[in-house]
Amino acid sequence: MSIVKAASSRAPSSLAHRRKADPVKIASFAALLITTFLMLLPLFFMVSTSLKSKREMLKFPPTFLPESWAWSNYTEIFDTLQFGTLYKNSLIIGVLTVIGTLLSSALVAYGFARYRGRGNQLWFILLLSTMMLPYPAIMIPQFVLFSKMQWIDTFLPLVVPAFFGSAYNIFLLRQFFSTLPEELFDAGRIDGCGELRMWRTIALPLSAPALATVAIFAFIYSWNDLLTPVLYLSSSDKFTLPVGMASLTSSRFRIPPWHLLMVASVLAMVPIVTLFAIAQKQFVEGIVLTGIK
Amino acid sequence: MNKNTMRKRSALLLAALLTTAAALSGCGGGKSAGNVATGSGNTGNSGGSDEQVTITHYTIDSEDRTFIEKLIPDFEKEHPNIKVKVEKAPYEQFDSKLQTLIAGGKSPDVTSHYGYGGFAEYYNKDMLLDLTDLIAEDGFKAEDYHIPDNLMKIYTVNNHTYGIPVNMYVTLMLYNKDMFDAAKLSYPPSDYEDKSWTFEKMVEEAKQMTVVSDDITKTQYGVDFTWAERDMRPLYFGAEPYSEDTWTNGGVPSETHFDSPEVIAAYQKLFDLVFKDKVSPTSEWSKSVAGQNGDPFVAGKIGMSIGGSWNLAGANDFPFKIGVAAVPWGGNDKVRSTLYVDPLLILKGSKHPKEAFEWIKFLMTTEVQEKSIELSGGNPPVNTEAAEAYYKHFDGIDPADVKKVYEGAVKYGYESYNHLITNYSQINDMFINELQPVETGHKSLKEVMPVIQSKVTEIIKR
Amino acid sequence: MTVIKSESRRQTFYMYMFISPWLIGFLVFALYPILSSLYYSFTDYDIIHPPRFIGLANYTEMFDSELFWKSVTVTLKYTFISVPVQLLLALGFALLLNQTLPLRGFFRTAMYFPSMVSGVAMSLLWYWIFNPQIGLFNYMLSWFGIPGPAWLMSPDTALYALIIMSFWTAGAGMILFLAGLQGVPGSLIEAARLDGAGRLRIFVNITLPMISPVLLFQLIMGLIDSFQVFTQAFVMTQGGPNYSTWFYVYNLYTSAFKEYRAGYSSALAWVLLIVVMLFTAVIMKLSNRYVHYEGGGRR
Repeated sequence: MSIVKAASSRAPSSLAHRRKADPVKIASFAALLITTFLMLLPLFFMVSTSLKSKREMLKFPPTFLPESWAWSNYTEIFDTLQFGTLYKNSLIIGVLTVIGTLLSSALVAYGFARYRGRGNQLWFILLLSTMMLPYPAIMIPQFVLFSKMQWIDTFLPLVVPAFFGSAYNIFLLRQFFSTLPEELFDAGRIDGCGELRMWRTIALPLSAPALATVAIFAFIYSWNDLLTPVLYLSSSDKFTLPVGMASLTSSRFRIPPWHLLMVASVLAMVPIVTLFAIAQKQFVEGIVLTGIK
Repeated sequence: MNKNTMRKRSALLLAALLTTAAALSGCGGGKSAGNVATGSGNTGNSGGSDEQVTITHYTIDSEDRTFIEKLIPDFEKEHPNIKVKVEKAPYEQFDSKLQTLIAGGKSPDVTSHYGYGGFAEYYNKDMLLDLTDLIAEDGFKAEDYHIPDNLMKIYTVNNHTYGIPVNMYVTLMLYNKDMFDAAKLSYPPSDYEDKSWTFEKMVEEAKQMTVVSDDITKTQYGVDFTWAERDMRPLYFGAEPYSEDTWTNGGVPSETHFDSPEVIAAYQKLFDLVFKDKVSPTSEWSKSVAGQNGDPFVAGKIGMSIGGSWNLAGANDFPFKIGVAAVPWGGNDKVRSTLYVDPLLILKGSKHPKEAFEWIKFLMTTEVQEKSIELSGGNPPVNTEAAEAYYKHFDGIDPADVKKVYEGAVKYGYESYNHLITNYSQINDMFINELQPVETGHKSLKEVMPVIQSKVTEIIKR
Repeated sequence: MTVIKSESRRQTFYMYMFISPWLIGFLVFALYPILSSLYYSFTDYDIIHPPRFIGLANYTEMFDSELFWKSVTVTLKYTFISVPVQLLLALGFALLLNQTLPLRGFFRTAMYFPSMVSGVAMSLLWYWIFNPQIGLFNYMLSWFGIPGPAWLMSPDTALYALIIMSFWTAGAGMILFLAGLQGVPGSLIEAARLDGAGRLRIFVNITLPMISPVLLFQLIMGLIDSFQVFTQAFVMTQGGPNYSTWFYVYNLYTSAFKEYRAGYSSALAWVLLIVVMLFTAVIMKLSNRYVHYEGGGRR
C-alpha cells in the first residue's frame, strides 16, 4: 500500500509552469472552441429536433429552432414506448457488462502483460483474431450455441460473455499494464506481496485512467448495441433502449416520428454523459508516477 | 503468499464469476424453460385439441405490424389451447434474424415477406409450407373471408397455395390540391374508366405547375413518377422485361429483355420527364427535399405523386390539402397500377401448422380486419367487406375517391415484381446502383441497359 | 539452470492463472462459432438446407467477383485515409486537452460527445449536414464561393462523406491518448525542460515514446475496425450510389442475408481475417523497434 501512496502524490509541474498569456495556450483554447462547436452540433440538432412538433418535421426547408417548443414530446415518449422498462433493462445490462468487463479484462490483460509464460504470443494472437472475424459471420453459429444453452430470451448472452473478458479491452489494458515500471513490482515482491495482491494494489490503482476508459467504452458499447439484443431477446418486456428506438423507424409505410426518436436519444444520453463527466476526472487526476523515481 | 493460496483465490474468483452467471440464468431462465415445454414439447401432436400449443408470429417491430399483439386475447379466448407469441425485429434486421432463427432451429410459425426478399425468394429457398392440404382439410374458402380470387392466385404456384393475402397497398396518384388550385387546374379523375386521363395529359398539367428557381424554397415540380420498383416500370408503358413463364413457375424468368428497344423506349419516357419535359425532379433534388421523410411530396413541392398508397397513411398531418386520383393510362390497357399484397405464410419449420392456420383465419375475418385498420393506423385490408371501413379512414379525402382508386387498381393492377421474382433483393440493389448514372444524367440508357441485362441474367442463374 | 527453469515455470503458471477467464470464455463462447464459420466457408450453405462440402469453391469464386474487388478497393481507400487522420486528430485533441486550460472538463466531454450518440440520431444529423441543397456543409462552402458536391448522393463523393463522418468519432481515441499521457512522469518532462528542451523535443523524445503502446493499440484497432466498416454503409448509403460505398463487410452481409449464401460469406470473413492478421503482424513486427514498454515483464 505504501508504494501507491507514494506514487499518488500529484505532479505540480503543470501548475507551476502556468505563465500569463501563454500564446500556445491561447491558440489551443481557440482551436478547442471551434472544434467543440463542431462536435456539439449533434447535441444541438438532437435537442432542437426533439422539441419540434410532428407537423413541423414535415416542413421544407427544415426549421433550425423549433417554432413552438413542444415539451409535451418528452411525456409522449412514455406513451409511445415502454420507455421506463427499456431504460431499466439497458441499465441492468450495461452495469453488469461494465462490472464483468472491468474485472475479467483487467485480470487477463495483466496475465498477458506481466508474464512471459509459454504460449503467451500464441494466445495473444488468438485473442486479437477473435476481433477480426466480422459479426455477421459468427452470428448464426453463436445463436445456435446460446440456443442450445437455453439462453434465448434472457439477458445472459448479452452479459455473461463480458465476465470472460472482452478482447478489445484486454488488449487495451495490456498496453497500459506494460508501461508500468518493473521497479514497482520488485518493491512489491520484496514486501512479500502475492501476485494477485500486486495486481490489486499496484497495477490497478496505477492504471485508473485506463480502467475508467474501459468502463466508459464497455458501457457505451453495451448501451448502444442493437444487433445482439435484437437477435437474442424476444419478449417486449426484456427489450433494451436501442431496440425500442429502432421500432420507431421500422415501418416502411409510415413517416417515422423523428421528433420522438430524438427525445429518446436525448434521454438515452443522460447516463453516458453522467458517467463520462465522473470518469473524465480520472484523466486529469489519475495517479502520476512521480514519487517512485 | 504461496502457490496454494494463490490457486485457491483464483478458484474462488472463478467460482464467483460462475455463480454470478448461474444466478443470472436463474432469473431469466425460468421463462424460457417454460416456453420450451409448451413450444416444442409436443412435436407431431399438432392436431391434438386439448394440449397447450404455442405458435410464434414473426413480424416487424413497428406499430403498423405489432398491433396484432392486441388481437391475441380475443383469439386465445376462442382457442384456449393455442397461445400466440409475437416475435419481432426492426426492419433492417428482419431478414438476418429470421434466417438465424431458422438456422438455430427456432423457426417461427407464421410470418410474411416483410424484409428485403419477397415471396418468390422464400418459395424458391424452400422455406414455405404448402398450404393446399391444410386448406382442403379445413374447408377454408377465400370467399367466406371476402378475399378476391385474383388476389388468392398471386401466392399460388402450380395450383399449390403458399400464402393467404392479408393486406393490400396499391399504386395510386396523390395530388396537392393547393398546387392545382394555384395553377387553376381541375383535379384529376379518380375513375379508371375516364379515357381522357392519359400520361400525356398528366405531363401537360405538370408543366403548368412546375417552377424551377435558383431559390430552392420556390422550386416545385408537377409530377413525381415513382411507379413500382425500377425494373417493373416498363410494364406501365406496355413493355415486358421478364418472360411470361416467370409468373407461373415461382418467379424464375427463363428470359429477360432489359436491352430490348421497347424496354429502353419505356425507360426513356420516364427519364424524359426529368431531362426533356423537366416536369419531374432529379433524384438528387428529390432526396434533398424529402430529407428524413423519404418523399418530396410530403414537403408540398410536388403537384402529382404516383406512388404507393402507404403515402396516404400520413395524410392527416400534411400541411396542405390532398386528393387521390387514378394512375393515368400510359399505353398498357391491362396494367396501370401495382399491387403490393402481403400474404401470411406458414414456414416449413413450423411444428404446429394447424394451429398457425387457425390464427391466420382469425386475422382474416371481417371483424378482425376492420379492427386492424384502426389498430394499425391505416393498413389496407384485403377483405373487401372490411375495406369499406378503410376507404373512410382519411380526413378530408372523399371515401368515394379512395374506393374508386382502389377498385380500379385491383382491376388494372399487377402484383409488384418484388414479391414475384427470385433473388429480387439482389436485382433491386443492382438496378439502384446501375441506373444511378442515368438518373444523374451522366450516362445514357443505351450504355447502361445492356449491362443491366447481363447482370440480371447472372443474378437469376444464382 | 534450475532457477531459470523454475522461473519460467512460475511465469507460465501465473500467466495461465490470470488469463484463465478469457481462456474459458474463448473455449466456451468463441471457439464453436469460429470453427463453424471456418467449416461453412468450405460449404454451400443456404441456411435452410444443411451445408454441403464444396472444397475451395467459395474462395476461388470471390476472386472472379466484380463486387468483391470493388469492396476491397472501397475498404482500403477508407482505411488508408480514415485511420491515420483519426489518429492524428485524436492525438492532437489529447495534447491540447492535457494542458491546464479553463473549461478543460467541458471540452473533453464535448469532444467525446459524438461517440456517445446513438447511431440513428447521428445518421439523421449527417443526412442533414450533407444535404446538397440545404445542408450545413455546402452552406459553409458557399461562403468561400465553392460549389458544394452532392456528397452522399454522388458516387464521386459518398465515400469521402463517410470518411469525414468518421473524424467525428476521434474523441474515443482522444480519451485513450489522454489516459496514456497520464502515465508520462511529470518529473521527466520537468528535467528535460530544465535542460532547455523545447515543446517539440519533449514531445518527440519523451511523450511520444511513453505513449507509443497506446498508439500501437489504436493503430491496430483502427485497422481492425475500419476493415469491418459496415453500419454507415448499411444505414446511410446501402452501398451506393453506384457501389461507391460497397464496403467489404457490406458485401459479406449482403451475401449472407440477402443472397442466402452463408458459405460464401464465411469464406469472405476468413479472407478478411487473414488479411487483417497479416497487416497486424507487420505492424507488430515494425513496432518492436519503436514501441516503448517500461515494464520488464515484456521483452
